[in-house]
Parts: sequence; C-alpha cells; structure tokens
Amino acid sequence: MGIKDLTKLIRAHAPDAIKENLIKNYFGRKIAIDASMSIYQFLIAVRQTEGKQLTDDSGETTSHLMGTFYRTIRMVENGIKPVYVFDGKPPTLKSGELEKRKGRREENEASLKEAVEEGNLENQEKFEKRTVKATKEHNDECRRLLKLMGIPFIIAPCEAEAQCAALARAGKVYASGSEDMDTLCFSTPILLRKLTFSEAKKEPIMEIYLDKVLEGLGVTMDEFIDLCILLGCDYCDSIKGIGPHRAFNLIKEHKSIEKVLINLDKKKHPVSEDWPFAEARELFRKPEILEDDNIDIKWTDPDEEGVVDFLVKEKNFNEERVRKGVQKLKKNRKTVVQGRLDGFFTTAPKDSTSESEKPLKLGKRKTEDKKGGVKKKVDTKKSGSKGKPRR
Amino acid sequence: MLEARLQDGVVLKKVLDALKDLINEANFDCNETGLSLQAMDNAHVALVSLLIKAESFDPFRCDRSLSLGISLTSLSKILKCSGPSDVLTLKASDQIDTLHIMFEGKDSERVSEFDLKLMDIDSEHLGIPDTEYDVCVNMCSLEFQRICRDLSVLGESVTIECSKESIKFSANGDIGSGAIQIKQGATIDEKKELTTTINVNTPVLATYSLKYLVNFTKATGLSDVVNLSISNELPIVVEYKVSELGYIRYFLAPKIGDDEE
Repeated sequence: MGIKDLTKLIRAHAPDAIKENLIKNYFGRKIAIDASMSIYQFLIAVRQTEGKQLTDDSGETTSHLMGTFYRTIRMVENGIKPVYVFDGKPPTLKSGELEKRKGRREENEASLKEAVEEGNLENQEKFEKRTVKATKEHNDECRRLLKLMGIPFIIAPCEAEAQCAALARAGKVYASGSEDMDTLCFSTPILLRKLTFSEAKKEPIMEIYLDKVLEGLGVTMDEFIDLCILLGCDYCDSIKGIGPHRAFNLIKEHKSIEKVLINLDKKKHPVSEDWPFAEARELFRKPEILEDDNIDIKWTDPDEEGVVDFLVKEKNFNEERVRKGVQKLKKNRKTVVQGRLDGFFTTAPKDSTSESEKPLKLGKRKTEDKKGGVKKKVDTKKSGSKGKPRR
Repeated sequence: MLEARLQDGVVLKKVLDALKDLINEANFDCNETGLSLQAMDNAHVALVSLLIKAESFDPFRCDRSLSLGISLTSLSKILKCSGPSDVLTLKASDQIDTLHIMFEGKDSERVSEFDLKLMDIDSEHLGIPDTEYDVCVNMCSLEFQRICRDLSVLGESVTIECSKESIKFSANGDIGSGAIQIKQGATIDEKKELTTTINVNTPVLATYSLKYLVNFTKATGLSDVVNLSISNELPIVVEYKVSELGYIRYFLAPKIGDDEE
C-alpha cells in the first residue's frame, strides 16, 4: 500500500510540508475521500471489544457500514462536505501487487486456521485482521448507505486515489482524503491523512502540501514520481538494495530512473530487464480518470426512513442511535457556513522587503517547543500550527 | 536592540488579555514606528492586527527591525505579575533569544525583572487592502460587549442590519429570538459628551459568529469607544484604540449562506 517510507523522507527533508490540524478547522471544506481505503480501514478498526467484527443476525459483517455511517456523520458535524470515491477496475500493472496480497492473505488464512485449532486467541485476532478483504458486497452496501445519507459518491474508472487527486486539482474539492501516500504521485495539491480515524483516538489530521514537498525535497514533479517508484509503489517492484536514503540521493543526482539505471552497479543491484517503471510512471502521470465536466457532486437531504430501513431492519443497528445520526446530518444541511479570511485577503509574499531591511528574527526554542507543542495540541484542542523551526 | 518604556504598563496587560484567547503565539514586529503584530486564529476565520505606536512609549528605541516570536499565554502570565500602576520596560537585543521585561513600582521601591524565552514562529502575513466600508459605526464599547454577550445566549450567530441612523443586532436560536437596536446619537460617555455615530453609504445585512465577537470584546477595557466597519460580503472590522495613538483591529469573516444547493 502506498509508497514505502515516503512520509519519513518528507519529514526529514521537507518538514514544512506536513501540518497537523484538528478536524473542526476543516469546516466548509469539500473533501474527496478514497472510499475503498476507508472501507478497508473500517473493516479492520471498527470492532467489538473482543476483537470480533460487528455482524448482523445472519452473521454478515457490518463494520464497514458502522464506520461509514458514524465517521461520515462526524465529518459532516464538523462542517466538512465529504464526497466518496470508489475504486474502479484495478490497473493491469497492479495485478502483480494484488497477486502478492492474495498470496499473503492465503498464508494468513492458513495461519488463522492453525490459530483457531490451537485456540490461540491473540494470534487468532492478529491473523483474522490480516485476512480482511473489502468485497464487492461491502462496497455496494456502502454506496447504498451513502446514497440514503445524501452523501455523493463517484465510481472512478480506475484507481480511487487518482480520481480524488483529479478532483482536488480541478478545484472541485479542497483536498484528497486517503491514507495512501501515492495520492501525492497523482498530484493532489493537498493530501489529508487520518481523516476518518475514530474520534476516540484524538489524532490530529495530517495535512500534506505537494508544492512544499517538492520544494523541500528540491525535485520536480516528474522526479518526485520517479523517486516514489524507486521507493516502492503498488505498480512495480523497487530495486533491491536501494533504500529511501539512497533512492533520494540517486534521483537528486541523476534526475530520472533511466539515468539512475545507467549509473547503477548492476551487480550489486540487479534490475530485471522488463522492469516496468516507465509504465508505472505513465500511470501516475496520466491515470485513467473521469474528466471533471462529467462529474456532478451534490449533497442532498438524507432519507431518514430509508436509512432506518436499511440499517435497523436489515442490519440490526440500534434505531434510536441511527435516527439521532440522521438528525445530525439534517441539522448540518441547514447551518450557514462560516467564511474564511483567506477568501478575502491574500497572503502577502514573504520577505518582500529587501535583505537589508529584513527584520531580524529572534527565537531559538526549537526542540523544546516542538515537543511541548504536539502534546499541547491534543490536550487543549485549540492550537493548529505550533511554532516550528525555521528553514 | 529594542528598548521601550511604557509609563502606563497596564495597557500591555490589557492588550494581552485581548489577544491571548484568540491566538496562542505570534511574532511581535518592532521597528522605529512602534510595536505591531498580525496573526490569524487557527481556523483562519479571524485576524487581529495590533499597533502600539512609538509615541506611546517614553523612551522608545529600536535601531533595527526585530521580530520577536512570543507565546502570548506565557507573556500574559508574566504580565499578571505586574501591579496596576507599574511602569513597564521591554528590552530585547540582537544576540539574545529572550525578551527582558521589567516592572517598576511607584518611586522605584520595587523592581521586578523577567526574561521570557522567545520562539521561532512561522506565520503567514496577510495583505489587507484599504477599502471603504459601507457602514462605519462608533459606539460605546461596553454596550457592544453587552449586546454580544446577551445575544450569545440565544444563538451562535448575530445578524447585523444597518440602515440610516440605526444599527440592529439580532440572533435566532432554539429557545427563541432577540434583537437590540442602537440609534444614532446614543450616549457613550456623558462627561466627555461622546455619542454614537452611524455613517451609512449603503445599508448592510450580514451575519457573524458570536463566539468570535464575544472574544473580540475582551479588548473593551482598552477604550470607551468601539469602531465597527461593515460591508456586505467583506469581513467586519472591530477596532479599539490603544493608548490614543495605536489600535487593535479584529477582522472576522462573515457567515455565508450555502451557494450551490
């Protein structure tokens, strides 16, 4: 999933590109959410205390519905307007990765069986989580629920992240919401992570700006994509023996994978002849997406009885809670939106004054402040951007 | 090098009270014209712009522009240690990363000194265009504070309606609704013969968050008069004078009806 160690690399070289913010500061924002990723998360994370998935009377899993319902409401309550994007068909290049995942799942299923036979509860839970797969039924049920909730969704022709990124780029939404770092490779201007996390975790949302990532790493978008391929993406293997640090230096030095390959010691780092890096690059650069003219995103009033019929009658949810949730959705449809100053005033260019007139900046409490800052953020629920070390 | 002595030290304490609930930390920019600050709250809904002019200090010395990153919460704590009639002196030098704060009691019988560690704060500076506002109101600051407080009992937002010679504040909520109207010429201060003035170019009707406005009124202690500048579809400006020559200005983005559905 995603790009290996990219977050670490960004943290090291472009710390300014990552900001943490609280969910309440996203009011009024439209956000495209990678639905397939969220459903998978819900299947893993939304569980009973014994670690079992939530099920209805007939034993069918309902974790994904629970997650989609309540976490969407949490976003809407905070003034966010979510639009979900579902995966279409996987790109052919991903088949290798998918094959691997399937293999791993089969292994885990075997281990799970073993654990059940042995009665090892801890392992049972561990392997059970690893065998989780979001099926077509899960996806269909979520779509049905979203429709009843009045939340729009789009089915991408191919990868959902790519479609999210396209929506953000076209200005249809403020950002893409996904855990998958490769959304950045599809050039989303802003990526939000941890958006659909449970409230109980008290985790701030991680906001990653592509322009600052590129600036901090000192690479162009094309170089960035090549870097991500070297780090290891879903579409092709990475080169053996090349870690994040090495990959970054190679791209900085040679600018493209082609040139890296020419200069690489093939004995130490064997590269297969038909390594499909160029195809992977094409996928990132020109992914299969719906053009934005064909996309109609509209939030509508929730169908209370429909939601109740589905969740309560079919899936055995608690009626009172479901109705309360729908009420929240309805309430938030009516409230007026608080404007932002960014819409009225523009950011003045930094350091517009000439070098000699530039004010001297005092203050060096870097490390202490950072520690204190992060902690405080969670406690007070108030601060968003804390003092950070200056570039 | 900065050295600034404020005869009426309590002014800075009041300024900090007016800032610290809105923003946690900010850069104080010091140059020969005085001390200034601009910062936005985390949600980017409100902005505060502060200016204390060099003339308010005696003496004021700042031979090189300085930007002091200050935790407002911490500075406010230190200022709480000052007495009501203390003279306050701020000192910062180019080499040291602390702000030196000194309070002198009457006749210099008691002198207390503090050093506040400075921080490195990355902040965005917004360019605010000079605009002519549709409506300009000068009214009693205490009255404005009371209106905001009273209406926040009813709802989350206030609608301000301003037409010829009167300004009306109204709020709606679950328990009911309320409205308060102030007319042109209403008394602000009888002794000083100050009265409310309302200048209307174009009538306005706009909605703002009461939570923020109530927060702004923490500056009430700085000035008897508050100046409201309002335009349709622009942020409202709430201004209080700071020791006659300076000001603290709050900008608040309006609430807007949803455009598309």
